[in-house]
Amino acid sequence: MKSTKFSELTQEQIDRKWWEIGDFFRRNSLWMLMYCTGCCAIELPPAMTSAYDMERLGMGPMATPRQADVLLVTGYLSLKTLRRLIYTYEQMSEPKYIVGFGSCTINGGIYHDSHAVINQLDRYIPVDVYVAGCMPNTESVMNGFVDLMTLIKNKQANGWIKYKENNDWYKQNQKEALGEVKIKDEFHE
Amino acid sequence: MNSMNNVTTIKELVTKKITVLKEEVIDQYQVSFEVKKDDVHHLLSVLKQAGWRQLSYLSAVDWIEDNEFELVYIVFNWEKPVHIQIRCRIDRNAPTMDTILPIYPGAKYYEREAHEFFGIAFPGNDSHEKQLILENWDDIPPLRKDFDPKAYSDARFPKREYSNDHVEMNGQKESKQAKREERRTHILDLIKGGKK
Amino acid sequence: MMINILIGFGVALFGFVLQTSLGGINRKIIGRLQKRYGPKWYQEFLDIFKLLSKRAISHGWLFDFGVIMALGGIIATATFMPVTNSIVAFPNYDNFFIFVYLIAVGMLGMAMSASGSGNPYASIGVMRALTTMLAYEVPFMIVILTIIKLTGTSSITGIAEFQQLAGNNWFMIALPLGFIVSFMALMGMLGKKPFETYIAPAEIASGPMVEYGGKQLGMLFIMHEITVFIEVSLFVHLFLGGAENILIFLLKYAAVYTLVNLISNVYGRFKIDQVVKFFYKWPLLLAIVQAVIAVYLGWVI
Repeated sequence: MKSTKFSELTQEQIDRKWWEIGDFFRRNSLWMLMYCTGCCAIELPPAMTSAYDMERLGMGPMATPRQADVLLVTGYLSLKTLRRLIYTYEQMSEPKYIVGFGSCTINGGIYHDSHAVINQLDRYIPVDVYVAGCMPNTESVMNGFVDLMTLIKNKQANGWIKYKENNDWYKQNQKEALGEVKIKDEFHE
Repeated sequence: MNSMNNVTTIKELVTKKITVLKEEVIDQYQVSFEVKKDDVHHLLSVLKQAGWRQLSYLSAVDWIEDNEFELVYIVFNWEKPVHIQIRCRIDRNAPTMDTILPIYPGAKYYEREAHEFFGIAFPGNDSHEKQLILENWDDIPPLRKDFDPKAYSDARFPKREYSNDHVEMNGQKESKQAKREERRTHILDLIKGGKK
Repeated sequence: MMINILIGFGVALFGFVLQTSLGGINRKIIGRLQKRYGPKWYQEFLDIFKLLSKRAISHGWLFDFGVIMALGGIIATATFMPVTNSIVAFPNYDNFFIFVYLIAVGMLGMAMSASGSGNPYASIGVMRALTTMLAYEVPFMIVILTIIKLTGTSSITGIAEFQQLAGNNWFMIALPLGFIVSFMALMGMLGKKPFETYIAPAEIASGPMVEYGGKQLGMLFIMHEITVFIEVSLFVHLFLGGAENILIFLLKYAAVYTLVNLISNVYGRFKIDQVVKFFYKWPLLLAIVQAVIAVYLGWVI
């Protein structure tokens, strides 16, 4: 009873093993939620259809935040869309990942001096992979997805853990940019 | 030929009713009339009866040197292919314009948008002060020419920091920098001081 | 008794594995149709296990309980399913009406849970699913009752053996109109493209499944696979003469499911009123004509 091989493992090690098995499934079946805010979204149709065929990596579009694993932020985020993006991100079920597309999510891009567009996405929500370019071509989009899979394999895609641990910092940044994060607009009363 | 006829008939129709300050034929599909502020409602109702049933857009232009706002009403006819722009100038210091809701009910959201981005008040439109696009805005309306979006963006949204090798500012003008600094401190004060 | 229950669960597991692999293969086939490489054949397994490995959000006990009820109800239904003539978990209980009643438990659980999530899209989806069910059930039941009248039994294996004894004279050939009608009804049952109204990802955000994520969605996917297994194998037994051995069953099953998928992928989506109008027009008419021909005139090939 005492000296079976399985019971020598601590609970932590067993959890780790399960997590690794789960990571295998998670990286081979990434379901995307496409938040098509800007022009980088036009790179997704060629990535999904017969030219590059995302489905061979196990990726596919999903209808709602609850079902999805990856949130694709394709392009600039105005304050109004950032607010909705935060709502969406917080609704997704864990583990969840974010891929930011284009220079707008990295440093504001050509909208760096606009009164309505934020400059760094990773101050407000944690981004796992950035795909650079204005706009990125489809090869680099696909490369970004493969990178995300490698990160999941190496346990480095832990943006959702960071968001939990540093929640105060993220909330503070969100508050600085948006004022109140949760507001009621007239269309959802 | 036919559409040029359209333009001349429109000119006759408009000039018969009211005094036109300035008119401009942009091409055979677009005409622009500048009228006095008080004539706009009369002219719009005349045009609506003549077939220009749809308000395509209500826009505003900020002429900061003249200290005036220019409102542009674009109306569209489904039978004759001519857009008509009705322009009128209003005072910039206390911009008010009576609503055109009784004539074109679709103007509700355009008026709200104009109020949000230029601060023009539309008495008669009950909801013109409700927020539409900008949520919790805490500064002067952003499409006015004296609003500096760069300073606002610098103060509000932190920039990603790069080493200077990769950043090249073209022609740093001292005066503009000083102005931006001034606005930045002003905005920071606003943020600290709470909502207005 | 114990051994019967074990066989029953074996059938459910078999159905799950079969349908999930076949679903993956079908995704590959569709990919090739669209000049894509397509996913791996075991992609559906990866999807389901990934969902089970995720953390889930609960929307109240009704939401969780409904999912378990749906999965349990469907597994219970699958245990009664005959695979071949000899592999039957509960002989003499493989009645057609048992499936009709038991499958409702699973569907009810799903509807309850979806309404429990409180999302309006889920309510719309459930409402549409019930409306679609009302639409396809009427012509389908007329055809099935015709078959029961002709064979004199409502046991699934009984009907399959009747067709085999008559010299492989399947009801697919004997009742051609009825076959066409129930094939359309099968597409409605499986929620395939022209009748996909209650899922409609771009329109009502996948309908009843809108609030599910993680474990609950994984359970619903397992439930969906077993439901498809039940519906398609019912069709195989009723119209394609059942199966003497498991190989023939696999062959017929794969043929029916692939055909459904191929047809569904060249169609767009009906609106809900179009679905109801469609089913109440031609399929219903054809089903009645078939019933009159077969039962009153006795013209059965």
